[in-house]
Amino acid sequence: MNKFGNKFGNKFGIVAIGLGLIAAPVAAGNRLIVPGQPVAVAKSMLTVTPAVEWNKLGARPGRNSETWTFDGDALNDLTFYGGIEPERTLFREVSKRNKPLPRVKATMLVTDIPTLVENSYRIALDTPLFTVEGMEPMAFAGKPGIRFTYSFTRPNEDLPRKGEGRGAMIDGKLYLITFEAPRLHYFDAGVASFRQVADSAKL
Amino acid sequence: MAGWMIAAALAGAALGAGASDRLAPLPPYGTAYTPTTVDERGLWQQADEAERDLRDSPAVIRDAALNAYIGKVLCRSVGEGRCRGVRVYVVRAPYFNAFMAPNGMMIVWTGALLRLRDEAELASVLGHEFGHFEMRHELKTFRRGRTIGDIIAWTGVISPYSTLPVSLIQLHFSYSRAQETEADLMGLRYLTAAGYRPLAASRIWERLMAEEDATALGRKRRVTHHYSAGFFADHPTELARATYLRETAGTDGERGDEAREAFLTAMRPWRATFLADQIKRNDFGGSEYLLGELATGHWTSDLLLTRGELYRERGNPRDLVSAAQFYQQAIDAGCTDPIAWRGLGLSLLRGQQAAAGRAALKTYLEKAPAASDRAAMAMLIGEGGVQ
Amino acid sequence: MRRGWGALAFAAALTMTATPLTAQEKTGNKPGFTLAPGTVTIVLMRPEIAVGAQSTGGAYEPNADWTDQARENLGKALAEAQGQLGNRVVTYVEPVGQGAAVAHEYRALFTALADSVQTYQFFPGNRLPTKKRDDSFLWSIGSEVASLPGVQGADYALFVTTEDHYGSTGRKLLQVFAAAAVGVGVSAGVHKGYAGLIDLKTGDLVWLNADLAMGGDVRTPEGAAKRVAQLLEGFPGKPVEAPVTSAATKTAAR
Repeated sequence: MNKFGNKFGNKFGIVAIGLGLIAAPVAAGNRLIVPGQPVAVAKSMLTVTPAVEWNKLGARPGRNSETWTFDGDALNDLTFYGGIEPERTLFREVSKRNKPLPRVKATMLVTDIPTLVENSYRIALDTPLFTVEGMEPMAFAGKPGIRFTYSFTRPNEDLPRKGEGRGAMIDGKLYLITFEAPRLHYFDAGVASFRQVADSAKL
Repeated sequence: MAGWMIAAALAGAALGAGASDRLAPLPPYGTAYTPTTVDERGLWQQADEAERDLRDSPAVIRDAALNAYIGKVLCRSVGEGRCRGVRVYVVRAPYFNAFMAPNGMMIVWTGALLRLRDEAELASVLGHEFGHFEMRHELKTFRRGRTIGDIIAWTGVISPYSTLPVSLIQLHFSYSRAQETEADLMGLRYLTAAGYRPLAASRIWERLMAEEDATALGRKRRVTHHYSAGFFADHPTELARATYLRETAGTDGERGDEAREAFLTAMRPWRATFLADQIKRNDFGGSEYLLGELATGHWTSDLLLTRGELYRERGNPRDLVSAAQFYQQAIDAGCTDPIAWRGLGLSLLRGQQAAAGRAALKTYLEKAPAASDRAAMAMLIGEGGVQ
Repeated sequence: MRRGWGALAFAAALTMTATPLTAQEKTGNKPGFTLAPGTVTIVLMRPEIAVGAQSTGGAYEPNADWTDQARENLGKALAEAQGQLGNRVVTYVEPVGQGAAVAHEYRALFTALADSVQTYQFFPGNRLPTKKRDDSFLWSIGSEVASLPGVQGADYALFVTTEDHYGSTGRKLLQVFAAAAVGVGVSAGVHKGYAGLIDLKTGDLVWLNADLAMGGDVRTPEGAAKRVAQLLEGFPGKPVEAPVTSAATKTAAR
């Protein structure tokens, strides 16, 4: 199951596979991320240096992004967005016609990043249960940026999740790292490792 | 899906002839019904399981006052004896829908509450859904297609926002059109008997049609499906429904109670939440239409504020100019919510009006000193913050 | 997962592709774990059980009588099987109010965990690199579970999920026809289940057994006993007579 499938709950991932709409997750090519070495992420110039080992999922949520996890993206999901250009969406659109996602704008302020994440999730996951809990300034790869926290619940699951994001607008493009996990146990268990990765981001 | 699903549809044979003599007196109501056939018991059990999940779901709004009000309207519209067998759940979902399971679980989406204008309209929705429940004799003899449809319905209860495999939906849609029409007319009987204005039912459909068209236009799609044949012929088209409901209501349609004030009072604590959920759908055309419809010529400060958010979140250069105007109008109209100043400030900043934008953000922070985004806004003003 | 399986059945029915997950592993045990000696108390969380018929079109038609029978039969068989192992099985009494919501959330977390184990450890093509190593069956729902209302006094929590769609005659005919004439696989019937044991002191998943093709007709007491024996394959613990199938069972923690 890739992140994209999981974003819609397992049910829809499975249905989609059954219908042949997306490739089954064979040969997904999950890779080991070794600690202590800088690694370029999300097909971009963004590099991070993790302190512990992670798994990189073969399936990407979008063309300029990638997902890391410890135990599977339903339990802990760290996703990098490496410079989303203006008029692009945060992740792949399911239906541009019926469920268009909001687009990155060159004029976005860093405080608009949480809203973009919120609205993209609400539409892609089909849930109104998404709340931005708070935000504060925090440098991202040495540039002015933002740190924000959020919570959401996917339909079909009733498993409330917490999330934290760090992002910045750099040269008109959106750079963002998010971490999300069930609020029971998994968020607290993994958030420190996420923060370490986000702190190590360089451009 | 026994619901008010907005589906492209075909007027079709379901209407049949002689809508005028459909307003027969209400049938006698048998209480304490228990399912009899294997199929029916299976469906009830699934509905019971779904209800177990729903009971603890974070998607359900449990506010006592809101639930009490909806329960009261249901009881007035279908009668005390009838309403006792029903449990209503208000589910947070920003689309127009409501549905009823055969075990007596009724679900109303918040998107429906946002779109209804008065209590008579709410009563017509609740009555329609109750109509499905009351006419459960059909479930006793339901066919295979009905089974599939009901499974979709029950999984839909848990995942109210879902998209499903197309061919299954098609299978289902070909079965329940007649039942929808029947439930519509049953709902109309309740309305009349309860003294609500019968025309309420037809008005809802007229507005839903217009909203769908606005959504399509906003997404640069052709506006087609309401007025012609479509494959998803589950529910009669909105056009057909509006027409036969209007005709059946007849010349007395304008008489009766609307109870508009009572409805607006009950919804007041929730309107900001429902509006916020709506504009985050990224449905610019539909949201614009809906806001105009809610305003009906009188733009209140909460609608202006929401309109500002809608334009700002789309964020095209021209939108930012409009957004700033709407926020200012909201403030001029007496808006006290600090987020009006935040929106104004952010729109101006993005529109290169730095000084005015900072001033508005300062006012925001004065009005909301404990805001969760205080530090971030202070950074934009240039007061501290990590850069 | 109950609903997920339903959807899978639909999808499989629609596309007429039975999707055999090749070489799917079925059982995982936390390395080095053994059940505490003496009598342990296992709280059986309310099993998710769905039984129905599969029509020719592949649609699932729920059957309340079968489901009730299965619930009763499986409950008895589980208690009996555990009794033979010297364990005591108590049924989880669902709390009311806020406690009910927490229990609901833990059930959802367990489902997400079990899905993850199956997707990212049992399924070799998609296995996470950190889950490939020896002794790497390390999964948990967190030690906070000890404070879940209703589990105090118990040592372990047992989660059970089963789903059965019995193929109708028409469906079975279609299966034969499709295989012979068209060369596509159509599954007749769906019989799946999984069971997992959580250590209530640590929250660790000490054992999970998932099977996409189970035997035993859960509508009868004998069938339910067979199903329970399959569900409990690889159950950690005290020495028992080795199950006949144990040699064939691949185990994630090698």
